[in-house]
Amino acid sequence: MTHKSELAALEIENLTKCYGTFEAVKKVSFNIFPGEVFALLGPNGAGKTSIISIISTLEKLTSGSVKIFGVDIEKETMQSKRLIGVVHQEIVNSGFFDVTEILDFMSGYYGIYKNSERINYILHKLGLYEHRQKKVKQLSGGMKRRLMVAKALVHSPKLLLLDEPTAGVDIQLREDLWNFVRELQSEGMSVLLTTHYLQEAQELCQRIGILDKGQLKLVGQTKEIIKQFSLRKILIKTKTEESHYEANAFFEKKDQGYYSYFLPDNNYLGKLLQELSLKAEDILDIQTQEGSLEMAFKKAIEMKS
Amino acid sequence: MIAFYTLLRKEVKRFLKVMMQTIVTPFMSSFLYLLVFGVSLGSKVDNLHQVPYLAFLIPGLMMMSLMNNAFQNSSSSIAVSKFSGDLEDLRVAPLTPHHLLLSMGLGAVVRGAVVAIITYIVGIIFYYLQFQEILTVKHPLILIYFILAGGFLFGLLGVCAGFWARSIEHIAAFSNFILLPLLYLGGVFVSIESLPEWAQKFSQLNPVLYLINGLRFGVLSVSDVSLENSLLVSLLGILIMYLLGLLAIKKASFNRW
Repeated sequence: MTHKSELAALEIENLTKCYGTFEAVKKVSFNIFPGEVFALLGPNGAGKTSIISIISTLEKLTSGSVKIFGVDIEKETMQSKRLIGVVHQEIVNSGFFDVTEILDFMSGYYGIYKNSERINYILHKLGLYEHRQKKVKQLSGGMKRRLMVAKALVHSPKLLLLDEPTAGVDIQLREDLWNFVRELQSEGMSVLLTTHYLQEAQELCQRIGILDKGQLKLVGQTKEIIKQFSLRKILIKTKTEESHYEANAFFEKKDQGYYSYFLPDNNYLGKLLQELSLKAEDILDIQTQEGSLEMAFKKAIEMKS
Repeated sequence: MIAFYTLLRKEVKRFLKVMMQTIVTPFMSSFLYLLVFGVSLGSKVDNLHQVPYLAFLIPGLMMMSLMNNAFQNSSSSIAVSKFSGDLEDLRVAPLTPHHLLLSMGLGAVVRGAVVAIITYIVGIIFYYLQFQEILTVKHPLILIYFILAGGFLFGLLGVCAGFWARSIEHIAAFSNFILLPLLYLGGVFVSIESLPEWAQKFSQLNPVLYLINGLRFGVLSVSDVSLENSLLVSLLGILIMYLLGLLAIKKASFNRW
């Protein structure tokens, strides 16, 4: 997906954020293209929430610039706020109002007076319609999470910021939420998300950025990063057992009759078979497993900056 | 305009949802003040400014409950939002500091005015029972002005306290150690003419004195200070609090406690 000629949905340049003397975000630069789902990954304390807080204007940046569809968040703050919807990491527990009232107020803050059609649409989509007259404290954890997503969507933002939206959420809800994100993407919405579920980020996001200790270690196409920073696993079942199968440099382990090998991307399977002196008639079964984002993530974090 | 109206609507709806705390409790405290001080003790107190003590007390209590409730409305709204985390919504949404100040300030005026009117109604009932005559408002426009000005000023003060507070104790401390003494020493219960001369001079530095006496002038046409000074102090107070409010919103935290 190349959109270089289009106006970026999000353009972050040399973003730095300091809390006193502590530098939480260090000269981070990346773009999100229109209609793209982009994941910002990193261990706890990497600076993901700081970046989301800056984009949503909850925190002020120390230096650098952030533009949303070309709108600078510092120079045209009000205009930039209208373009984004944000789901914060921590659940909001507003006690006085019911679900519909909360969404009605949220619409009003964005200058939308009668928004019941959009509100009902979102409530249906997120499975909250039956609970629309409940107060927040009467909702389950998952429903509260969905309400936060609903709040972020009432004004039809062009860029959605999701800060660990599936933290503490069960598998079914996580799946529903990601399906909804896919739907939003198909409607043209751009999404920046942070998550600790790397498998889900791998399936959902076209591109990712890996952040550690405030520094952006890697940014690029998810598939490319996996290819570049993870190892392919090859499982071979042979007719006979030979000691030199285990002496190979790429050998990992032997399990249930399968010899497993981790191959870097630039090493071919043929080369491995050659090194093992294996002919087609010696092989009973052969399986390959592609590298995972988890593996690439670990490698990226270990990389020296 | 829609954003301002929405936030104002939310502020009013919020206190109406907890009427027991926001309307009934102030009504009870005004009722008891009027009964104990106005009716029981008042009958043994000489007329002040040629009006019975009960009549003198009614506008003082109106302003006291107005200010207290206006302050409580905006400060507790912000404090509760800091607890629940939804104050962050106000930062993220395209609301300007003026939106926040005006809507929270006016929300405070509505609650303060409701409580002040209830106090007035209870007061005229007691007054009628004691003197068999209705205590009419002498200058309705001045009364309305001071209800609006007093409520708005203390609503803005509540916004500042709410944003600057780092815990609910900070707001309680501000209310108990600063607001309460200013109110009690501001001429709610006594005319400053009955104080020793040094205390009168000290009282004249208290801005609350001018607001209470402005409202008292509106109801009874009597006051410890000139109406011009009351108007000037109220306008100056609003201006200062508005600027402090802007500063509080700009500098203080929207993050949850």
